[in-house]
Amino acid sequence: MRNTTLKSFFAAVPLLIATSVSAADINFSGFATIAAGSTTSNEETYEGYTSDLDFNQDSLFALQISSDLGDGLSATAQLIARGENDWEPAFEWAFLGYDVSDNLRILAGRQRLPFFMYSDFLDVSYAYHWITPPTGVYNIPFDSFDGIGAIYSSQIGEFDSTLHVIAGRNQKEIALNSGDITKPDFNKLLGAAWTLNRDWLTLRAGYFQSEMTLDVAQLSDLASLWSQAGFNSVASNFVAEKDDINFAELGLQIDYEDYLLVAEFTRIDLSNTGQPDQDSYYVSLGKRLDNVMLYVTVGADDDALENLIANVPNVAALATLNAGTAGYIASQQSETKYVSVGAKWDFHAVSSLKFEVTKYTDSLADANDATLIKLALTTVF
Amino acid sequence: MRIIKLLSLVSLLSVLFAGQASAAITVIVNNANSVSLTQNDVSRIFLGKLKRFANGDSVTPVNANNSVGTRTLFNKAALNKSSSQVKAYWSKLVFSGKGTPPKELDSDAKIKAFVASNPNAIGYIDSANLDATVTAALSL
Repeated sequence: MRNTTLKSFFAAVPLLIATSVSAADINFSGFATIAAGSTTSNEETYEGYTSDLDFNQDSLFALQISSDLGDGLSATAQLIARGENDWEPAFEWAFLGYDVSDNLRILAGRQRLPFFMYSDFLDVSYAYHWITPPTGVYNIPFDSFDGIGAIYSSQIGEFDSTLHVIAGRNQKEIALNSGDITKPDFNKLLGAAWTLNRDWLTLRAGYFQSEMTLDVAQLSDLASLWSQAGFNSVASNFVAEKDDINFAELGLQIDYEDYLLVAEFTRIDLSNTGQPDQDSYYVSLGKRLDNVMLYVTVGADDDALENLIANVPNVAALATLNAGTAGYIASQQSETKYVSVGAKWDFHAVSSLKFEVTKYTDSLADANDATLIKLALTTVF
Repeated sequence: MRIIKLLSLVSLLSVLFAGQASAAITVIVNNANSVSLTQNDVSRIFLGKLKRFANGDSVTPVNANNSVGTRTLFNKAALNKSSSQVKAYWSKLVFSGKGTPPKELDSDAKIKAFVASNPNAIGYIDSANLDATVTAALSL
């Protein structure tokens, strides 16, 4: 799917440019983040950082190519090289846009999924005050999809309204917590995000659903053991095969005078896939003083996996299997929170320096507690 | 005596106000454009939220680039944002493929020439440089 989409995009663009050379107008722009971070003690790891200073985890360099092909048609592609991927550049998105009217824009191709308030410019650190958006909430393993998007802008009373509807699919490889790489299939991705903005107030609500197929070796093994024991319905709870999942988000932003308040709440429902449901939120408050902004962010995440073996009899023959499964289910419960304090200094018209300290607390496993310090230089060009 | 003092006070004040007037910005449109604009309209135009004049014609805004003094004053007076905030605002639209910032020119003379030759253009210049080639739509 990925190769076909990119191939058809690249096949289409030269054709379009050839037919309207005088109208084509190619623009290059980009953004970059150079970030360094480290945890404060040897046993601590958090967000991919250890106590050794790491310059790659959050660093990236991106190039965006956009071309106005005339008559409302445009082509946009964004190429990003991330330090955490060995600086291998990859097309984050590549799509054609068409302005049907002043209010309606259609996008086709690989594009960003508007899960969150900051989804559109997730990697553009310059555009927001953190170094990266709070990872508790912004932790969905994929943020783009291949398909169609429609953006409808209008005015409702004194509010500017933007409705972004999407339909498509995502099959990008992801890395599981165990370190295994797997290729999930998020098919029939469908959803919308609605943003209302008036002056200093922005409100947002989003809802997305998909059919998920995800192969996790440990869970497949568990499922076959339950099938062999004669409990097919229990087995199917641990297999993610075209299972319906959904995601809901609520967001608020108040950007008034020198104060900034941002808050987002998300709920991910992964029932019947063997993965836990997740509730996450953060609240961030910032104050601008000249060209420095100081901020505090507080957030929490709760993962809960229901007891999928509740109806299984507690007989001797199933003792090992019951215990092993109960152990897995217990391992998926999670209650974590974090507090971050940071500063952003706009020392240059197009560049800012950021510093952030985060204290992370795992309520169920103290050994996972960590303190992380990060410094970053961000720019757009 | 009093009248003389009053007159000298008035002339002193007018000198002061004249000094301030030359630091002000005038938003200009093409001479064929008779639209009336509020500061809110100007703000929405230069943030890409308003794309048409009240008469239905599309708008082509032109910014002074950062090397021209009026840009910073305009950002504050019309948009109520610092230069970094404006840059961040446009970054969000540019890097999501949702919009592009207005074209930029590096002198009042070029801005006037652009507005004078484009019926849909709107720009801003130092009020002291206002002349008959363009029409003043709003003073900031």
